[in-house]
Order: sequence, then structure tokens, then C-alpha cells
Amino acid sequence: MKKFSLIDRLRIPTYDKLTHMQTADLYFDPKKCQQCGICIKICPGGCVVTDKVTKKEVWQDMKRGVKAGVPRVDRVKTGATLCIGCFDCGTACPHGAISLKKNFNPKYFFKRLTQTSEMRYPKKY
Amino acid sequence: MNLQDEILSPLGTYEEGMPWNPVEKVILERRSIRAFKKEPLPDSMIERILEAGRYAPSAGNMQPWKFIVVNSPEILAEMEKDAQKIIRFFMFFLDYSRGNILRRLYILSWVKWVIRFMKNKLHPVPFCLMSQIAQGKTHVFHGAPTLILLAEDRRGVASPPTDIGICGQNMVLAAHSMGAGSCWIGLVQVLMYLPKWKRKFGITYPYHLNDCIALGWPNPKADGMVPREVQMVQWYEKGMHDAPRVKKQGE
Repeated sequence: MKKFSLIDRLRIPTYDKLTHMQTADLYFDPKKCQQCGICIKICPGGCVVTDKVTKKEVWQDMKRGVKAGVPRVDRVKTGATLCIGCFDCGTACPHGAISLKKNFNPKYFFKRLTQTSEMRYPKKY
Repeated sequence: MNLQDEILSPLGTYEEGMPWNPVEKVILERRSIRAFKKEPLPDSMIERILEAGRYAPSAGNMQPWKFIVVNSPEILAEMEKDAQKIIRFFMFFLDYSRGNILRRLYILSWVKWVIRFMKNKLHPVPFCLMSQIAQGKTHVFHGAPTLILLAEDRRGVASPPTDIGICGQNMVLAAHSMGAGSCWIGLVQVLMYLPKWKRKFGITYPYHLNDCIALGWPNPKADGMVPREVQMVQWYEKGMHDAPRVKKQGE
């Protein structure tokens, strides 16, 4: 189990720095992706985007019938993604094209202590 | 639900490694739905969902809750507009990830103190979500046709927020078992900074509003199992002086 040290307790992480935050990341398989835009519509924070459309445009059906393009996860200048690894997009994707690469794990003050970084599906005990 | 043809175990039995029973299936496959069809759920279905909340356990059977169902598109649009306005106002002062370097450094010098004192409300997840909302990249209430506001009676026994959590989870699971979609929204709190909404919904003492649940028909369907972090669990099985065994839950 991880320790919550004094430095961790005192230090508030900067949310857009890679050394202070491990943000989640997704892989979109370009071979399986049919560019339907469902994952863009379902993302809680609007961080799944393509070069052609944003979440607001998908919502307003402005570009109906137009292929959305293979999505990617939006990044801030410092390289951190905005993904929290909820994987709503993965369950909504009808073609199974999305997989989770990393989990979300802030450091210092917001450090998670009893979770490990392995991601597992529910297990039948 | 993505495992429709799977055989389910009967309720009230247990064998090692048996298939999920219907209750577990609803619990494990429930996802927060954030995209809804325009037409609302029928009133009878909302009443049935509220019934699940009415039968939730609460400390001392005090039932410290007040349900408010908001179905009117006009009010929902107004709530969305006002919530976005307030969030934009706050993020103008707090968002250190936008703007030029001078603004960023200046804001960062004191925002860290604000975060320390509001550590739950300004946790990285809601902070970045509010930043996205302020930039107009996402919505607050996800265009839901129905909102159920869960006001808490602060005079309840022991810990009323826990009771509200149990009650809301009952309703959410009931909704998913009937094929509806739901999502907990805590950002409804920002509306409480405006006296207009406090007066409108009657959230004065002893009531306090922390959470609401968005309800509607999911579009697209997104219920399904997802991977989650493995959890370390301490098992105290031996004597008083022995260290606990740490088991990895889910591996």
C-alpha cells in the first residue's frame, strides 16, 4: 500500500503538469473505427475530439451524415490529456475500437493510496 | 446492455464462480449516461423510480430528503444557461491553465491556497470539467429531459448526506433496470449561489441541495462493464498483534 507522506500532504499538484498528474489515455483503433462520432457525443468532459468536429457540433447535429474522422484525446499545451479513464466511450462504441491505455492518477495531495494502476474487468468470485 | 444473451443466476443463491444475477448485472453494467433522447420518460416511470428512492434505508428511518422533479424544457434551459454563466465567472478567477504566462503565474500563486481550502470542489476532475464548460466545450446538465433534485434535510440523524447517497443510488439502479439512463450531477450546487434558484425550488433552511440526477432515454445505449483499478483490501484474520493480509480485489 502506498504512503501519504508529509510532502504529499503539503503539496497541491498543478493540474496540467505531467509530473504532477498521470492523466488517462485512450487508443482508437483506426482499422475498427467507423467514424460515427458516438464517443465524441458521450464523453463527459468533451475531451474526445477530431480535427473536423467538436462535442458541441455533434450535439447540435450540425454535421449529420458527415464522417467524424478518427477521434483522439484532447491535450493541453503541456501534453497532459483531459481524460479521467471513465471508459464511457468504450462501452458506447458499437465497433469495439477503443481501448484504455493508462488510468487516471493524480499525485501529491490527491494521490490514490489503495488503488493499483492495473485495470481489470469485474471478476466472478 | 451488452451481455443480453448471457444466462443469469437466480436471486437468493450463491455458488463459487456462478454467473451474475440480475441485480449484480444492473450494478456492474450501470454507466453514467450523458446523452439523452429529447422525449422525456413517461410520468408513471418517473414515479416508479421515485418509489425506489422512497424505500431507501436511512438513519433512524428519518428519511431526510425532498425530491424535486424538473420536467419543463423552459426551466431546464434557464438552469443550463445560468449554471454556465456562474461557472464562467468563477473560472475567470480560478483557471490557471488558460491565458498568457503572466496571468497563469499570478493566478497560480493564490489558487493553490483556494484549492487547499476547497479540496473537494476543486479536485482536478471537477476543476478541469469546469474549465471545459467555461470554454463552451461541454454541457452542465447534458441536455437531460428530466432532473430529480435531491435536497437534503440537514436535521436528519447522524449523516444525512450518506442517506441521500443511498436513496439516489436506489433510484439510479431502478432506472437502469428499466432501460432508462441516469447521471449524478453535483454541479447543480453552483445554482445555489443565485438566490433566484434557491427561492424557486424552496431550498432554504433546513434544506440543502448537493446533488441531482439526470434521467432520460439513453441515446446511444452505453450500459456495459468497464475495467476498473485493482483495489488493495486489508484482511484482518489472525491475532491482535499480526499485520493484516493485503489482498488484491479484482485481480
